[in-house]
Amino acid sequence: MSRRVKSSRLRPALLSILGMLALLAYAAPSRSETSFSRDDIVNQLSRFDSAPELDIPALKQKTLERSRIRSRNEPEASKRTPIAPELSSLPGFNVDIQFDTDTPIVRPESYQTLGRIADALVNVKLLPYSFLIVGHTEANGRRENNAILSQRRADAIRDIMINTFKISAKRIQSIGLGEEQLLDPAHPTAATNRQMQILTVAKMPEQSEQPPPATTSAPAPAKKKSAKKR
Amino acid sequence: MSFADSAALLGQSCAAEIDANCRGVNLDSNRLKECLSRNRDALSPTCASTYLKTFDAIQKRIAARVTVANACAREIVKLCGGSTKETSKSIPCLTTTQGVSPRCIQAMDDAGYR
Repeated sequence: MSRRVKSSRLRPALLSILGMLALLAYAAPSRSETSFSRDDIVNQLSRFDSAPELDIPALKQKTLERSRIRSRNEPEASKRTPIAPELSSLPGFNVDIQFDTDTPIVRPESYQTLGRIADALVNVKLLPYSFLIVGHTEANGRRENNAILSQRRADAIRDIMINTFKISAKRIQSIGLGEEQLLDPAHPTAATNRQMQILTVAKMPEQSEQPPPATTSAPAPAKKKSAKKR
Repeated sequence: MSFADSAALLGQSCAAEIDANCRGVNLDSNRLKECLSRNRDALSPTCASTYLKTFDAIQKRIAARVTVANACAREIVKLCGGSTKETSKSIPCLTTTQGVSPRCIQAMDDAGYR
């Protein structure tokens, strides 16, 4: 008897907990829903005129080397000079992508975001361009690990674009900058610093009429000229 | 169905299953599909009835790019001076030129070009 009373007294509490859980479960997917459209990405990334020559392998090397510095004179994360200032002038779109901790595995709640990026890259307005996926981390934990993790994550996004959505591999490069170019230097440990950037880096050469150009692009025109003179 | 819709549906329907059975597997058309298939017995009814469809929808949208070459062959060559071997180069022209057939336009929509 007393037991029954007890259980019935418990019930409202239990119900409200269940209700809260249901609410949480309901709220979770809507929170992970992306707040931007394909066209938001397309419009941002198609604002391209020209870009500096980028040497991505050199930049990777530079980032790794700097992240390994153990000197006491090293400035703290918020005061470091950006490792790749040339990237900041490029058209870009920043996205939150959730990963499993310390891995390049994308959480299922971010699949939609990946699909949306792929939708944008296939769109006619972005077809002529190639892109750089830039990984970042906040300034927590070992600096070198952050550089490595951000590179692995950027590579993973590139792989997904190429393998799952069949975006041409020629159009996408990836780089991880770790904590060497904080997106929010004023708040080095803020979540904003974990965002991925997609940057438009080049317009693909149009080859519809001409035969494929020579492999080295710069000296080619000069050669042609001298050939004509002869 | 857009890539975003397909991927969202997969992520929503199979989140728990992917966490429980496919840790360490990324959104990959082959590896994730294989992992879910291997664990078919452990999938919720929603996930089980959805995951193949979402991968199929992604494949269909990719395959639609090839369809564009066929559906737009005349337009690519005659209106855009392009080649069906490099369809994607002619897409900007196809989407802005008059006289493109409804079939070609449909194909470009299916592929997600427009």
